[in-house]
Amino acid sequence: MELGMEQAWLLPAITGGTFAFLLLFGKYLPRGGDFLAVGAGVATFVVFLFILTDLLDVPRESLPIGKGWDWVSFEGLEIRLGFEVDEITIVMLAVVTFVGSLIVLYSTGYMRGDPRYGWFFTVLMLFITSMLTLVLADNLLLLYAAWEGVGICSFLLIGFWHERRSAAEAAKKAFITTRIGDVGLLIGIILFWRATGTFDISEIIEAAEHGEGLLGDGTYLTLATLLLFAGAAGKSAQFPLHVWLPDAMEGPTPVSALIHAATMVVAGVYLVSRMMPVFAAADPIALDVVTALGFITVFISAAIGLVQTDIKRVVAYSTINSLGLMFIALGSLSVTAAMLYLLTHGFFKALLFMASGSVIHATEEQEVSKLGGLIKKMPITGWTFAIGALAMAGLAPLSGYWAKDEILVALEHEQNIILLALASFSVFITAIYMGRIFYLAFLGEPRDHHVHDRAHESPPVMTMPLVVLTALTLVSGFIVFSGVGEALGFDGGFGEFVYFEEPEVFHFDWIIGIGSLIAVIAGLAAVPYFWGGTGERAHAVAQQFPWAYKLVKNKFYMDEIYQVFLDRVVFVLSGILAWFDRNVVNDTGVDGSAMITRLAGYRAKFVQTGQLPNYAFAIAFGVIMLAVIAFAVEF
Amino acid sequence: MNPDWSLLAPEYILAGWAAMVISVDLFFGRVRKDYLAYLAALGALVAALVSLIYINDDKPFGALLQIDNYATFFRVFFCLIAFFTCLISARFVQERVIHAGEYYALILVTTIGGIYMAAAEELLTAYIGLELLSFSLYVLTSFLKFDLRSNEGGLKYMLLGAFSSAILLYGISLIYGVTGTTNFSEIAQALSGNNDDLRFPMLLGLVLIISGLGFKVAAVPFHMWTPDAYEGAPLPITAFISAISKSAGFALFLKLFAEGFMPVIDEWRWIVAGLAATTMVFGNLVAIQQRNIKRLLAYSSIGQVGFLMMGIAAISPDAASAMLLHLAGYVISNLAVFVAIIICYNQTGKENIDDFAGLAERAPFVAMCLGASLLSLAGMPLFAGFVTKFILFQAAANQDMLWLAGVAVLMSFVSLYYYLVVIKEMYLGQPEAPTRFPIVPLEYAALAVLTAGVFFVGLYPQPFFDATANATDLLFAGTSAASVSSGPPAP
Repeated sequence: MELGMEQAWLLPAITGGTFAFLLLFGKYLPRGGDFLAVGAGVATFVVFLFILTDLLDVPRESLPIGKGWDWVSFEGLEIRLGFEVDEITIVMLAVVTFVGSLIVLYSTGYMRGDPRYGWFFTVLMLFITSMLTLVLADNLLLLYAAWEGVGICSFLLIGFWHERRSAAEAAKKAFITTRIGDVGLLIGIILFWRATGTFDISEIIEAAEHGEGLLGDGTYLTLATLLLFAGAAGKSAQFPLHVWLPDAMEGPTPVSALIHAATMVVAGVYLVSRMMPVFAAADPIALDVVTALGFITVFISAAIGLVQTDIKRVVAYSTINSLGLMFIALGSLSVTAAMLYLLTHGFFKALLFMASGSVIHATEEQEVSKLGGLIKKMPITGWTFAIGALAMAGLAPLSGYWAKDEILVALEHEQNIILLALASFSVFITAIYMGRIFYLAFLGEPRDHHVHDRAHESPPVMTMPLVVLTALTLVSGFIVFSGVGEALGFDGGFGEFVYFEEPEVFHFDWIIGIGSLIAVIAGLAAVPYFWGGTGERAHAVAQQFPWAYKLVKNKFYMDEIYQVFLDRVVFVLSGILAWFDRNVVNDTGVDGSAMITRLAGYRAKFVQTGQLPNYAFAIAFGVIMLAVIAFAVEF
Repeated sequence: MNPDWSLLAPEYILAGWAAMVISVDLFFGRVRKDYLAYLAALGALVAALVSLIYINDDKPFGALLQIDNYATFFRVFFCLIAFFTCLISARFVQERVIHAGEYYALILVTTIGGIYMAAAEELLTAYIGLELLSFSLYVLTSFLKFDLRSNEGGLKYMLLGAFSSAILLYGISLIYGVTGTTNFSEIAQALSGNNDDLRFPMLLGLVLIISGLGFKVAAVPFHMWTPDAYEGAPLPITAFISAISKSAGFALFLKLFAEGFMPVIDEWRWIVAGLAATTMVFGNLVAIQQRNIKRLLAYSSIGQVGFLMMGIAAISPDAASAMLLHLAGYVISNLAVFVAIIICYNQTGKENIDDFAGLAERAPFVAMCLGASLLSLAGMPLFAGFVTKFILFQAAANQDMLWLAGVAVLMSFVSLYYYLVVIKEMYLGQPEAPTRFPIVPLEYAALAVLTAGVFFVGLYPQPFFDATANATDLLFAGTSAASVSSGPPAP
């Protein structure tokens, strides 16, 4: 059988089958069946390579290509299981299958000895299945189902160590917060369905572009589009729904790397990229909202990242920061920049998480106040973390630099100089806090000697993925160049492969390129100055602006504001509803009608006497009654 | 014109096989009785496979029968019902029944009757098919010679059956008098003309035919025989009656009214709708009060009849195909329920709802399948019942029968209660004895297949939907159904 885009459904089928098998028989297998999970991960990557080859062979105009089955089809409602591949999908597939398999492999080392070892891989398989379905879905309904699927997996994996109260709380918080966005997404999907009568993504895009039917109404289209974005903002942790992502770090680190860095959190970016023609057709205010929330998210997360002391949380805030940047790119209509950043971010952020996981695994400590000087004990982890951090900071020639550069160029094209300056300033802050966390954890003198003595380099099964990801972090940015793209078999650079409306031929803007490089180097240079020695200078700054420090340290009091809202509004309202439900609905409505029903049944059962003449009488009576009705209707 | 005799091959096979089963029992008296069950089941299966030859045929047999997709659908359907009934009878009959040969032969003969009812093109053939089916069932109901309840149930069934047969015949004769024909499509032609003088006998004929068929499918108030017959009959026969007698009744009901009485739809639509409403309300309410599982299923099946009659009241291509779909889903779920109950009965010999206490511990697989099938009967999502009910109720609502669909939803809700009572007993009750049931491979396999069917229809109804749409496609071809239909069924 030819293996290509039409067989893309194989991807979720492989992992889905593995999930079902592990769920049913996992406990009878040695090692909880982890080898099956690793095998399935590798298999998806191999299938992905075939799909990629196939995609490069066909002319662009014929995309998307895929295959689907009608699941339910009757008048007015068609539900399809359809999978299709286009350029955006292939980028997502690259991240999901490649990073996914590496992380499954890494987990076999990280999770060793856990009492629920097999269950971890089972849920991981379910997650990869849902994620693959999400990116391959050719209709919004299937996409939504997969969207909720990754949500539930995220919930299960954040709360994987649910004996720990904080983990259980974090899982709940993540689930509920993203659900708020998901409701918006669902309403948005229903609005599109109502207007077009279909869930098919291509058809909806076409209808929106031509302004058919209800979608011709600008307000309706904009509202529906913004509701889609609400779902994207929830999943991708955009302000004001970003609060769940830092807490999600309660989950095992491979989970943070896979779900909360490389794949699930970028589902929102993917959704907006996929639906970009709809966003472009809607009122400009829709894209302005995307840009504005992106900027707010970037600055809030960068500011909080500066003062966090938990190595994993800093990486988490940097993820929110990155996601904000991707939405800024999308707000400027640059699918190219967003997807390039998404691809490279998938590599270097997974690397950062896995490297910090390696630290946590070795030291059982994630507060930087207890770390320091680890680079001598854990050289591979240390150096790979350094490269990841520099890529995140955006230092040339690492992949993060090229991706960030694309975003800045897009801003310059589509927006004004002020936004460009703001974005460049955020690059400066990012460089500071990424430099800071590396400096505090790996350089300087050890702060806690017990921890330092315990530290050791992680086993090869964990460091090997780090090295592979580091290599990709080093080189993956070069695919912006036409030469590199052509050597790999593409038409040209990344911008000529993934784009919205017009191919973007790469050109290097020297002012922006050099400017952002200066911002990065300045930020990195500031780190030893402020945090050198015992970090007095940093303390001094904090004391200079105590209120600002307090504000940032407490994450702008977002959690507290939500808590007050929950206590004062939601719980009060639900208390009233609960009273109504108990007294009126339950005691009177449900119990009352149940009593009437039972009584009616009790009365009616005596009709059945067991006497044959009575039965015959009933038949005769029935005939006469029917005749009476018939004639009454007739005459 | 010489009829094409080859069209009836499946019926020849069934009849020949029935004779063979009797002869085997007669001449090889010492053969193990469960082999007879497998032999008869094989015959039913062969007949089902042979029926598949006629897919997409549309040929008349004389002017009596029409072998089209509708007939093929029911041929396969009835043969499969007979197949499962024979299989699950094996242990029951071996232990409790004498004259096993006749038992299985009668099952096969009943199937022939059912097929003729579905394939008939004119009233008298339909009537003969109905009598063939009924007489076989009377005998089968009272097959437990030394069980008083079986005798009582069989006798009541037969006496009342005779009574309602007379009613049906009277109705047929009146319609013949009005139209001068017994052929369905000719009846439709005659009725579409202006014939005000004959209004009264025509109406009376309609009422009598509805009453007669109402008895067959057990619509209230013609349902009285059902609980007694269900309770008295040997358990596998109860399953058989609930499946084939109802399906055959509805097959004839739908075909006759769609092909023959369409021109006077305004006359009978409200009668059927009223009957449907009464039936679903009464059946479901009384079911709440039952303590015996067979009687519970009798009343619940009466409730289901109400839902199915809704499909006839809302007659249209959509509704007809939806009704067939629900019928198929109902029969699959109901057979699964009965197989599970027979497995328990073979083990414990008890049939009250309390006796199912703790079944989940004694036979977890049986309990799971029984639970799933009961939930399907109640119409819960994931299971067959949800999809089929959804489509049926929607079809009714589309035909301005929103009130009826509303009553149906309410009664589905009531039905959930008594199904849940059984499930509660199984999972929360304390078992009388902690011993596990032995696993009987054949019965478990039958149960697994049927339960898989319940899930299959529930999760992927498309093939069934296509099949029922194909089967009902031709029903409306001849009549001017355009005035009531809301477009062709989905391809």
